[in-house]
Amino acid sequence: MIVMAKRSNSGKVQYGEPVGVVTAQSLGERSTQMVLRTFHQAGVSSEVISAGLPRLIEIVDARKRAKHALMTIRFDKGIAKDYERVKEIKQKLEEVSINTLINGFDENLKNGTMLLHFDKDAMSAHSITLRKVMEILSSRFPDIEVSNEGNEVTIRYKKRKDVRGVRTAFVHVRDEIVSGVEGIQKAVINSEGETFYIAVSGSNLKGVMDIEGVRPENIYTNDIFEVLSVFGIEAARNAIANEIAYVFDIEKASMNFKHIALLADTMTYSGTIKSVGRHGVAGDKESVFARAAYEETIKHFVNAGFFSETDRLRGVAENIIIGRQITVGTGKVKLMIKNEELERFKPEDGEKE
Amino acid sequence: MFAESIENVRFSIVSPDMIRRISVAKLIVPDTYNEDGYPIDGGLVDQRLGVIDPGLKCKTCGGRAKSCQGHFGHIELIRPVVHPEFSRLVFLLLQSTCDTCYRALVSEKQIEALKEVEEQTGLTKVKSIRKCPYCGAKQKKLKLERPTFFYMEGERLKADTIQDWLSKISDEDMRILGTDPSMVRPEWLILKVLLVPPVNARPSITLENGDRSEDDLTHKLVEIMRINQRLEQDIDAGAPQIIIDDLWELLQYHVTTYFNNETPGVPVARHRSTRPLKTLAHRLKGKEGRIRYNLSGKRVNFTARTVICGDPNLTINDVGISKTIAERLTTPFHVTHWNMEHAKGLILRTEYPMAINVINPDGVRKRVTETNREELISLLAPGWVIERQLVDGDIALFNRQPTLHKLSIMAHNIKVLPGRTMRMSANATTPYNADFDGDEMNLHIPQAIEAIAEARYLMRPMDVIMSPRDGSPTMFVDEDGILGAYILTRNESRYTKEEACALLSAASIFELPEPDANGMYTGKSIFSMLLPDDLDYEERDRKGNTVIIKRGELVEGYIKKESVGSGSGLLFRKIYSDYGHQALVDFMYRFTKISYFALYMNGLTIGIKNYLTDKGIESETTKIIKNVSDEVGKLLDQYKDKSLTVLPGYTRRETYELLAHSTTGNARQLGTHFIEKTMSFDNSAFLMPTLGARGSVLNLVQMLMFLGQQSVRGKRISRGYHGRVLPYFRRNERSPRSKGFVSSSFMNGLEPIEFYMHAIGARDSTMGKSLITAVSGYLMRRLVHALQDIYVETDLSVRNAAGEIIQPLYGSDGIDTSAELVR
Repeated sequence: MIVMAKRSNSGKVQYGEPVGVVTAQSLGERSTQMVLRTFHQAGVSSEVISAGLPRLIEIVDARKRAKHALMTIRFDKGIAKDYERVKEIKQKLEEVSINTLINGFDENLKNGTMLLHFDKDAMSAHSITLRKVMEILSSRFPDIEVSNEGNEVTIRYKKRKDVRGVRTAFVHVRDEIVSGVEGIQKAVINSEGETFYIAVSGSNLKGVMDIEGVRPENIYTNDIFEVLSVFGIEAARNAIANEIAYVFDIEKASMNFKHIALLADTMTYSGTIKSVGRHGVAGDKESVFARAAYEETIKHFVNAGFFSETDRLRGVAENIIIGRQITVGTGKVKLMIKNEELERFKPEDGEKE
Repeated sequence: MFAESIENVRFSIVSPDMIRRISVAKLIVPDTYNEDGYPIDGGLVDQRLGVIDPGLKCKTCGGRAKSCQGHFGHIELIRPVVHPEFSRLVFLLLQSTCDTCYRALVSEKQIEALKEVEEQTGLTKVKSIRKCPYCGAKQKKLKLERPTFFYMEGERLKADTIQDWLSKISDEDMRILGTDPSMVRPEWLILKVLLVPPVNARPSITLENGDRSEDDLTHKLVEIMRINQRLEQDIDAGAPQIIIDDLWELLQYHVTTYFNNETPGVPVARHRSTRPLKTLAHRLKGKEGRIRYNLSGKRVNFTARTVICGDPNLTINDVGISKTIAERLTTPFHVTHWNMEHAKGLILRTEYPMAINVINPDGVRKRVTETNREELISLLAPGWVIERQLVDGDIALFNRQPTLHKLSIMAHNIKVLPGRTMRMSANATTPYNADFDGDEMNLHIPQAIEAIAEARYLMRPMDVIMSPRDGSPTMFVDEDGILGAYILTRNESRYTKEEACALLSAASIFELPEPDANGMYTGKSIFSMLLPDDLDYEERDRKGNTVIIKRGELVEGYIKKESVGSGSGLLFRKIYSDYGHQALVDFMYRFTKISYFALYMNGLTIGIKNYLTDKGIESETTKIIKNVSDEVGKLLDQYKDKSLTVLPGYTRRETYELLAHSTTGNARQLGTHFIEKTMSFDNSAFLMPTLGARGSVLNLVQMLMFLGQQSVRGKRISRGYHGRVLPYFRRNERSPRSKGFVSSSFMNGLEPIEFYMHAIGARDSTMGKSLITAVSGYLMRRLVHALQDIYVETDLSVRNAAGEIIQPLYGSDGIDTSAELVR
């Protein structure tokens, strides 16, 4: 017990420790050894994983549209082993547009009509009926009339003046999504031993959560902004941290989670996600000098002049620029001595000079 | 000292009045020197602006070239021009104020609302208001054509009109718009007076042929003045408005490029030789600009740089320097009452460790020469500082670029050694990422006592040996050290008494362990002499090999990479945590010495003989290659007759490629298994990779069996000609060979086709490496800038420069990352 306490105390961080720089260096140094390409995880799964340095940069930049948004949906025991039920859910997930259900179409712009040739096999594969499609179309497009003759559906545009308008309307009709969750492009069933799970490309937490049989705690998405909008900033912070940790995990690069957590906290402590670059954490610093030393030097000085900004010289970069000790580490502490104490160090009379 | 007294820095804009007050000379002549090469009065190198020629005196302060730092002058512009860098802000101001009554377009209600929202800058928000809430005037449409042309309802707004407008905005309204009118008045954004920097800031250089070459800024200023003068003459002469406007526009152009020659939408001003002029913005901007080159990074004295090489007689804490360096560099010696005698002795010395300079309490530095020694001694008093040559035990900061992390600069104890290079322990190379193939490193001698103390107690390699990244040792034994340790500690090693003495004395141990029954000494018992008496240690690697140390005796197993090498270094960690960092340094030093010596005594050699082994390899190679082609053939058949089970989420073709790649890639594993099965430790070429000393078994596979699959961007090579990689193949051929599988070994030599494939793969990996350094270097810079102000407060909370809390308790437990081992 005593040994443990002693060890733990000797391991405490020291006052002033520049943990930010340590984090930056640890992450940065490791990143030099990563591969610069997205790669597929060979054979095992369908997941087109964006990994390595590009993914790290993507997270750190807080890019809104991540290149490969990806969700994994797992199930409770009851469903997970039942392939048919998983398949059923899969069908509810995948975006199905009219385009995927038809063999072809004939449009007559002059008359404002379009003939859609529906494909029976495609429809049954997505378990959707013609009637349902027609219902959806007529309810979503008030300006059209829908009628059918077997698998041929005729769309008639009521306002038939403008050829261009008709054409765009038809394109919209063909792109209309008749089933599935918005934003989910592709769903794939994978298995881990006995249990099945669904991996989808594209991300829509809210949409997927609403599907019967899916529980929110069983979904994972790698889209950080999605997490932010659905679950809030604390969850987004964890999402950032987990995603970064995952990048290092794949590379088999050992990394203390504290570094990753500190980066995630710095990106999120303000309540929104800030990127690491000039439009985020580094660009929002209070110090004019620190911002100017980073990027867009002129812009920062010009604005500082006009708004008569004051640099309070509390950070590192600005103190280096004006030429004094930095404000972290040993630069934070000062040595003080009482004047009376100083007397003690004067040589006594008898002492040899 | 001066910097310490600065509390904060406030930015503002220099007013025309201020410019005139700063200025020591109004410049009127658009020229520099007259025919005699003498500065023209009122010209751009007017002697009142300071002097750069050694012979002349400054007419303002009387100083010479060295003592006068220069003075500003000014140019009165005949017509005002827009300051190009402020044109955006000018535009915003025009948009935010009424074009009739010049009040801010913010109603009283909105002002109230703004007051509630703290510190709002109204500027950008006001733009869309159409009607003035005060005088009711409908706002005309404004347009900014970058960089400096303003239009109102299609009509050009000239700089004087704009200045008029801006000057009519009241202080009150400026405050509403978010600026401080006591510091900045908006009309100052339009220039009527131009501040001219002192000549010292734009020195001319004299070429070899005696011609002067002026600085780019001077050129630009000459042009500004020339146009200014012509404009004045034309106005006085009553020239037509078009001509005046043209000249005015030209003046605006020159002023624009004077500030920033990269202003978008403006042609670049060029030198006669078509080289673009470097103007003010260039001086500040970017990596070579004033901020990053001179202010964020500063040059220092007391440094040395040479080639490094290894020295097994140094601990990781040492650095060996040559006498040349030791004689040139100095460290301060502070004279007190108590060390007076020693100080005097230093000054009196006339050879190597002697005093170079003395510094009196006023900070005046004097060189110690043959003639002034006695004089200096008589002056010497407490408070003086002597700059003394370096000796053993002084501290130095040692650095190798690129300085990627804090371990790239560490403090080493100096050891003055013969020779010209700097020497270091091979065990300390890893954090620097150094090797001895010609690498150079930098040495810095700290001068302040605080800096010396910090270096001495916080920055030694042993202080930072545990990586803050994952808690693993950053310095360890590898290569020869591991090989030697194996030779020493393997079961069969026995040494005579003489040998045992030699081994142990290499590690500075002068006692012998108990001999065995035959009077011989086992390697294990010799090795155990290095270990602390009460050390208990156990280790088991993946292959099931164990190392057991009981009460400081190695009883089972041999030392290998897992115990002392990179990654885990388990034995080192144990010693570090139980006996402290100094003990680890000593142990590592002795370990290395005794290992090297054991290796030296035993000898270890590899040659072609190690690779000319039995025939088993050949037949196995053919077997593996045949298997691979068969399997790929099978896949191809399946792919063709559509019986291939498509992997979820892939197309059929992708599935085939993927499986084919993993099949051919797997050949290497098969080869590795075979080599591992058939070869033994008798073969040095196999011993080294297996112990983790150097190389990998894959190298052996590539030399003896086959090279294996070459890949580009993680896939089989597929690009090149239409349907084939090289014209040698048939179109759409799908054999492993046509996609970069090399079945020859380095020993047998590569076929021409294979050689090409290998070159393609090699190029891809080289390109990838150089690309990644650039990308990750920038990532690192961004990370550092984002995180550099973050530190741990006394309450162990993590905060940034503004004092905002980022984490309430560092890492939720307050434990330093270098104190915990990850995994």
